[in-house]
Amino acid sequence: MKRVLLISLLTLSFTASFAQQSLDPVAVADSIAITGAKAYLQPGQPPVEDATILVVKGRVQAAGVGIVVPPGMRIVEAKGRIVTPGLMNSASQLGLVETGTPDTTDSAVTTGPLGASFDVQYALNPNSTLLPVARADGLTRAMVVPVASATPPFDGRGAVLRLSEGPDILDLSQAAVVAEVGGMVAPKSGGSRSAQWMLIRSALDAARRAAVPSTLHKEDDKSTLLSPSNVAALVPVIKRRVPLVIVAYRESDLRQAIALVDDYKIRVVILGAEEGWRVADLLASRKICVVLDPYASTPTTYDQMGARLDNAALLDRAGVVISFKAAFVHVSYNAGIAIREGAGVAVANGLSWSHALRALTVNPAETWGIEGHYGTLQPGMDADLVLWDGDPLEPMSAPVMVLVRGRQVSLETRQTLLEKRYRPGMAGDPLPPGYR
Amino acid sequence: MQELTMSDLSHPKRRSLRFVRVFPGILICLVVSSGLAQAPALPNPFPSTYKPLPRTDTLIDNATVLDGIGHRLLNAGVLLHDGKIIAIGPHLQAPPGTKTIDARGGFVTPGLVDVHSHLGDFAAPYTLRDEKVSDVNEESSPNSAEVWALHSIRVQDPQFARVRAGGVTTLQVLPGSSDLFGGRGVVLKNVPAVTVQQMEFPGAMPSLKMACGENPKYTFGEKGQFPSSEMGNVAGYRQAWIEASEYRRRWDDYYAKHDSSLRPPARDLKLETLAAVLRGQILVDMHCYRADEMAVVMDVAKEFGYKIAAFHHAVEAYKIVPLLKENHVCVALWADWWGFKVEAYDAVRANAAFVEAGGGCIMLHSDAPISGERLTLDAALAMGAGHRAGVDIPEERAIEWLTINPAKSLQLDEQIGSLEPGKNADVVVWSGDPFSVYTRANIVFIDGAIVFDRNDPRHQATSDFEVGQPAMERPQ
Repeated sequence: MKRVLLISLLTLSFTASFAQQSLDPVAVADSIAITGAKAYLQPGQPPVEDATILVVKGRVQAAGVGIVVPPGMRIVEAKGRIVTPGLMNSASQLGLVETGTPDTTDSAVTTGPLGASFDVQYALNPNSTLLPVARADGLTRAMVVPVASATPPFDGRGAVLRLSEGPDILDLSQAAVVAEVGGMVAPKSGGSRSAQWMLIRSALDAARRAAVPSTLHKEDDKSTLLSPSNVAALVPVIKRRVPLVIVAYRESDLRQAIALVDDYKIRVVILGAEEGWRVADLLASRKICVVLDPYASTPTTYDQMGARLDNAALLDRAGVVISFKAAFVHVSYNAGIAIREGAGVAVANGLSWSHALRALTVNPAETWGIEGHYGTLQPGMDADLVLWDGDPLEPMSAPVMVLVRGRQVSLETRQTLLEKRYRPGMAGDPLPPGYR
Repeated sequence: MQELTMSDLSHPKRRSLRFVRVFPGILICLVVSSGLAQAPALPNPFPSTYKPLPRTDTLIDNATVLDGIGHRLLNAGVLLHDGKIIAIGPHLQAPPGTKTIDARGGFVTPGLVDVHSHLGDFAAPYTLRDEKVSDVNEESSPNSAEVWALHSIRVQDPQFARVRAGGVTTLQVLPGSSDLFGGRGVVLKNVPAVTVQQMEFPGAMPSLKMACGENPKYTFGEKGQFPSSEMGNVAGYRQAWIEASEYRRRWDDYYAKHDSSLRPPARDLKLETLAAVLRGQILVDMHCYRADEMAVVMDVAKEFGYKIAAFHHAVEAYKIVPLLKENHVCVALWADWWGFKVEAYDAVRANAAFVEAGGGCIMLHSDAPISGERLTLDAALAMGAGHRAGVDIPEERAIEWLTINPAKSLQLDEQIGSLEPGKNADVVVWSGDPFSVYTRANIVFIDGAIVFDRNDPRHQATSDFEVGQPAMERPQ
């Protein structure tokens, strides 16, 4: 049980010559060599034992066996422990929520003109206390999706976060347009899910017209049910630059999503897909990525009648690119632990461990279009990296070191600081905890 | 890791001594009340009709056994006879006619006891109608002490089977937390059934669900009703206890006169439940998050002389461990829920470990069904957080959070909660270490009967709700 905390073993040794070579002091400070790691450099592939990973200027410079560590780099000895890329949550409201009160919640609009064009990027709060908790669980990236707009069934546009410290947390804005269908939200579109699909199709028709240059200078398209700004938000979807995210669970809705791909040649990502296993081959053949809740086991609503714990395994086996989200309080507040333990639950129900790691890294990167710089530890990639004290899919495990874009981030959270303040043995302190 | 010798098992009074340590207040309270009031035992007009399922005497052998009272036995067996555990330890012999299950590589624990569940009263599937009116909360009054969760249970809730497959053999189903007084909870055996009485744990003491904080305040305050503040919450409790004390006095006077010609006082369902709490016949399960609220509520309990069995959720329990200990109040926790409302903002993952380290009493509860399917993983999360904060909890101790401690809180520890001779044969055979995410419950026994077997479809009950659902069947 006893784990040696790596932090105490970290050695920091700069040499003058190294500092002179690199004029960027930030880069020097963040040059790190991780040695002796069991490194999952390319999730899905077997790990590289006794690997060395060189991190320079925020990127992976080299990774593999027998790499010579240049003099002056800070060396972190992994001592055979597991290193993975930083993990990614594929659907959260990190940066948009704080305490559940309306004044701290920016994930939805319920009145006003904004529908598909509602864009969460301007609300992101880098000082949110949720971010350190997620980081301390090994999360370094997160897709952030809106949850409602004033023009249903559209929820608005999501963004990709990087969970670095400091104000610069926006990785990719307008990464997707989100729509939501199903029985539980049907009243917002008049009372039928058929209306939801009609509205989506009408909006895509309008966006297709707006995407043709010759129509750009015409008067507003009177045949559309959406305002011009909301139609404009869908033009990148029609041009396949970003995916249309559809929150959907029921088989019939998943088949409608498949039909959209066929009719509009757009990219679609499904959030939910509790009954995805029933149409796994069709989803795979349309290259529809699926973001699923690996804990979903029960017919929580009538749309989720087919929920089963091997959904992840069955979709993966069919070739669908899957990644993870969580439900209820775990969506954002436990955005890290919920998906890595959830990945473990998927493994317990038939998914291979190596594909579970893909679903936490390269798959979400590919789903959300950041695979060019995040998802693996290959040279040139952003150095999002986690050194673990055990198996990352076990709830008992935790990171001992997390790098986001090559910078080591603190694993301290409000929670660990409160734990320090109230740790056992402090009960006899005559001063109130507030002085600690 | 602590290992067990047979001599450890032979302490005859260990369990009852622990009982006294944790709950001296109850014992005293029961004795005093029955002496003074001469009130009859609490009647149950909806008595249990539970019958154990067909069973075979069984030896579960060659397992690592976590017995639920602090011991880990290696290569050990558990012998089940006539629905009871009759032996535990290494080198057990199976008597003739006894079936042997070779659990090599696996673990055996007591059946898990979930002290805070909403299965059946917050049944799946959830529908849009439940958004307005739901069976989990009677929201017409902040004092709904007259309602019983028993009467809301939908036994065909498909979630019962899901948590059965997670090793949960006993559940306390509680009303929700919208009210100051939410109503009576009910203890169920997690067996497939057609009526709720068939699931009802025979003779189990009912509880009264009460709630602190934001839920009652916002539920009623936002409707312009009382209470609309935390101070309103406390005034609401106290006013109700004053009325209940008066009601109890009226009935005690009536009982004391021993005159059947006298007309009895009028019955009042609400006050009947509250008076039973004051008599110690019903314990309070109190939904409370914050330390300052819990401290106030413990004083209210002293003011009116009733017993709080446990604070549920108790995200700030770690701030008042000595006070909880002093008041003999247990806490039922989530492992990691935090932040989703202001009163949950100070939750820490080492909460359970810190309370345990301070000598307090810990239970982990589900509240939501997805947690009920994997309570042992919540324990693993809490153990890991404790370790990183400097408190190591061994597995044989952590399993108590899910077994003997909730059994004690429900006053059922004479029957369930540990693997000891004489106890009900509620047993889980796990595929491996139950605190690992890769482990699953393979076989679940209740009263010696297999109620779930992962490898035998004959022992995988489904609810009526799941019958004939094309969406659940494999497509051709």
